[in-house]
Amino acid sequence: MPPKMKSADSAGVPGNKKRKEAPQSSSSSQKGPDRGRGSKRVKINDARSIMTQASDTALKNGDLDVQSFLKAREFEIKALQDGIKKSKGGRTTRAFQQVPRDMRRRTASHNVKRVPKRLQRRAAREMKDDNTPTVDPSKRKPRSTRGRVRAETAKRLGLLAAKKRAVKAKSGGEVAGIETRAARPKIRKDKLNEAPKPKSKFRKRQIHKTWLPTHMWHAKRARMTEPKNPLWRFSIPLTSTEKSYRPTHRAAGARGAVAWDMSYMSTIGLEGPATSLEKLLKAMGITESWLWEEKGLKWRHGKRTWSGWLSRNVNDKSILIGPSTVFWCPTAHQTGDEPGVEIKKPSPSRIFVRIHPSAFLETWTEILRLSKLQRPAVHIEDLRFEIGSIDITGPGSTEALLGILHPYNQLEDSMEEHAKTFRSLAGVTNPGSLPLNSMLAFSIMDPRLRYPPRPVKKPDRNNEEANFALLEMLSAWPVDASTGSPAIFDRDARFKATRLPAQKSLNRRKALEPPGDYPAIQATDPPIPIMLLTSRTAVSSAQGTWTLLAPWKCILPIWYGLVHYPLSTGGNPRFGGLQELRQVHFEQDVPWFPVDFPGTLSGFTWETEERAKRKKEWDKRPKGKRVEWDSLDLGRGRKGEIGLGWACDFERVLGVTPSPNSGNSDDRSLDAQKLSERLRKEPELPIDHVPKYAFSQLLSSKQAPQTQASQVTTIRITLVSRGIASPCARIYRLPQITSSQNPSATSSSLPVTTREQWLSLLPAISNGKPLPGPKSKTAKSTGRIPLKTPLPQRVRLLAQSLLQQPPLPFPANKEEEDGYPLVPDEEDLIGFVTTGEFNLAEGKGVAVGTVFVGKLLEGFRSGGKKGEKDGKVCIVRNAGEKIGRLARWEPV
Amino acid sequence: MVRLKNRYLLVNILYPELEDRQGRAKVPDVVEFNQPTTDAFTAGSLLKGLRAEIASMFGDYGSGAVAESMTVKYLSSATSTFILRVSRAHYRIAWAALSLMTSVPVKDGEGKNCVFRVVRVSGTIRKAEEEAIRRARELILKARREIGEKSNSTLDDIFGGATEGNIRPENTKEKDILMVDRSDSEEENEDDSDGDG
Repeated sequence: MPPKMKSADSAGVPGNKKRKEAPQSSSSSQKGPDRGRGSKRVKINDARSIMTQASDTALKNGDLDVQSFLKAREFEIKALQDGIKKSKGGRTTRAFQQVPRDMRRRTASHNVKRVPKRLQRRAAREMKDDNTPTVDPSKRKPRSTRGRVRAETAKRLGLLAAKKRAVKAKSGGEVAGIETRAARPKIRKDKLNEAPKPKSKFRKRQIHKTWLPTHMWHAKRARMTEPKNPLWRFSIPLTSTEKSYRPTHRAAGARGAVAWDMSYMSTIGLEGPATSLEKLLKAMGITESWLWEEKGLKWRHGKRTWSGWLSRNVNDKSILIGPSTVFWCPTAHQTGDEPGVEIKKPSPSRIFVRIHPSAFLETWTEILRLSKLQRPAVHIEDLRFEIGSIDITGPGSTEALLGILHPYNQLEDSMEEHAKTFRSLAGVTNPGSLPLNSMLAFSIMDPRLRYPPRPVKKPDRNNEEANFALLEMLSAWPVDASTGSPAIFDRDARFKATRLPAQKSLNRRKALEPPGDYPAIQATDPPIPIMLLTSRTAVSSAQGTWTLLAPWKCILPIWYGLVHYPLSTGGNPRFGGLQELRQVHFEQDVPWFPVDFPGTLSGFTWETEERAKRKKEWDKRPKGKRVEWDSLDLGRGRKGEIGLGWACDFERVLGVTPSPNSGNSDDRSLDAQKLSERLRKEPELPIDHVPKYAFSQLLSSKQAPQTQASQVTTIRITLVSRGIASPCARIYRLPQITSSQNPSATSSSLPVTTREQWLSLLPAISNGKPLPGPKSKTAKSTGRIPLKTPLPQRVRLLAQSLLQQPPLPFPANKEEEDGYPLVPDEEDLIGFVTTGEFNLAEGKGVAVGTVFVGKLLEGFRSGGKKGEKDGKVCIVRNAGEKIGRLARWEPV
Repeated sequence: MVRLKNRYLLVNILYPELEDRQGRAKVPDVVEFNQPTTDAFTAGSLLKGLRAEIASMFGDYGSGAVAESMTVKYLSSATSTFILRVSRAHYRIAWAALSLMTSVPVKDGEGKNCVFRVVRVSGTIRKAEEEAIRRARELILKARREIGEKSNSTLDDIFGGATEGNIRPENTKEKDILMVDRSDSEEENEDDSDGDG
């Protein structure tokens, strides 16, 4: 029976009939007439139609009447309200469209199982109604040859396993069913350790790399490194599959939290007498004197961490390896005990050194070499796959950690001091507000016992006393008086923690508890030793970071709790990949190792790999659509990009080995890995890094400092006006004053751009803040038009406000491009941008670059006489573009 | 996928020519203005009349432009109100044609003299419906005020008390004004603020 079309909207749908008939004929064979697509359409039509009355209801005996007039209007109001309500129910959205963005899965429109459970039934019904084809796993056929081979292998393996099982079942009755636990994996001293042996199912996929403990979780939600092309021998999540740039910016700075599985960071354990360790660490570049004096006692007693650069000595020249975190095992020390007396102590001291995996081998070989030189001996352990870590930042980070980390000893009096302190941190919105580099070490229970996590009770915001007490605690940090648990340094404790009860038994225990209660701890539940480290950035207002260290195998249960914790500000903590890590560093003005440090071996390896990648991208493009580096016109007859367009070409600036260098670059593009290996063998880098403190010293010293040509440092660049700098952009210093007087060096018809021309582009000092200043001021002066203003006045105000701000000319002023000063010559090229994009925290283009110290200082000093203002100014030009933009720099 | 963009026109039919009503009961002008339309006026006849008008004014181009999208979504002859859907690109054509029509298009020929007044153009039908509700409420109040009648029980149901009924016109007035500084021009508010509130 065709549905009756009473409503008005049936009038304009001509093609209705044809499409409706097919499902109806099929539906007639089904149980009722109201099934299938036809019924759905009827339902939709019904939902969309609005009831109406005939005209005679508004009349009384064919004549106008007030009462009937009113009645008709009332009916209309009701009918329309009803229609609005009904149309909500008849919406055309499908079940999978209702899923929030972070829960969407690929092909959810074709596979019911990819939508959340509560929507599966609805989705199945919709698919049936719509006659959507669905997947049938039993009928799925492998598409590619590789897939077919894999399927065949799987089938054969299955047969083999079945045969084996049958044999076992036959003989198994006779043999006593004693199952032995797998032996504890050994950690060899002074030797590199193997990654944990993966399950046989996944072994083949981890031949050349190691999976993070949360690999399965991440692989479903993030873009990972390519299987053939792992990063630092790990399979690392690069970025989330969903849109995440702005959400990450918000979560890391304003609302929420971002978490990373940082288990790929390498940990090296050192063990030996304190004096030997001191000597070793000093040789590794931890030479800051305060660390070894009274002031550094907290660090040496395992109450603080130290973060800074490690270095190694080669031929009396110290070469920086990379930033690292070093901390001692917490030990009970009598206060006032001097380090010199400690020799009598029977238990040796222990130290963890945490370093980026790209610099691991370099550090390991150096520490190993140094450890053999120490008497009494120092032993080192490779704890890469023993200790995993999670980093979490953002205002909700402390709250999230509080929600998932429950101290093992729940009773108030038996709880460890550090655990008590940790529990009292509710209300801290920035981990950076804790004492600098503080650490908390205690044991937690299996997070799965408290899964799913529940929101923690937040302290009352208006409770002045409690707030004050918290602030006082944070500043006094009384926990320094007690010693944290050293369990994470203990091999046995770590191993015991990894033998967590099976999920099955946990489920059983959970089922036995009354609803809403958590299962109690049993003797078989091992405590998990953890360590919480805080770190903060140089900018005090920026968010700090929590680093959670735990045994490698305990990371996964902790991670599950963490990403499901319901934050009080709504949502869950986000997860991040490398891209997000880089972004958060960028927004906090912190250069990111290794990318922003091409002066180190790891950084230069990264740079060479990037070069190869960019070259490949460039080669791939058709000739007409790629930047022709050779035909770039820089003005005044200067043709061609300086150096390789796709590279931060430090070699060109240095002028070292130009001819073999170009040959090298081909090698690089061919086989980056081979080159990095070769680089590892010969420790000769074209450039070497100068850390910030050394550079600041050079900057502030009065006389011209002695610098080598190859020294580079990292600077942060803020563009003065518009534009952004992208990676590989060229950084120039301002042209020298002398160079304008003798233009003999450059035979040119066009005038040389002078320093003054560039400096005139600097905004006047009166409006020191470049862009937002004038705009916001005018906006404030007009402000919002008050609500109560009568209409004519309102219109006038509106017109006034429109006329006040003349909009920027569109299209952008052509003159800007042509009238822009020409970029300086190659002799003024001082460095390259390593990271650069639009910075959401600043609202403008910001970049991090690496520049040659000598050249930078030369320019700085020659211009600095006029005043500080124009000293720290540089010019940035993107690779392949001719426009240079003025920017300010500062050391980072 | 490309979303089809439409505009929904909420149209009132007005009868400004006051008839000579000797011997009949005197009704307020508001009621006479907004009197019901004849039942011969249907969605089909409206579309037919409108298309004819468009064809005469804009020729083949105009009729072709709106032919695809023009639909009547709601038509209430008792209250002389209808909602018309036209594609966003060409809704002005339909609007112009409506403005120039002078009589009710009925099945056979022409009906009473009338004025089509587009009172709201919106991007969603929901907003058009809300506006229709608002206007119906206003009309009820106006009619009531003109006959000076005590509020009856059904009106209490709608407005939730007599006191609120007095406030409402002021509120709606403010709403009209608020639209002036609304920044998004996505919705062309064709609210006339000529003081009928």
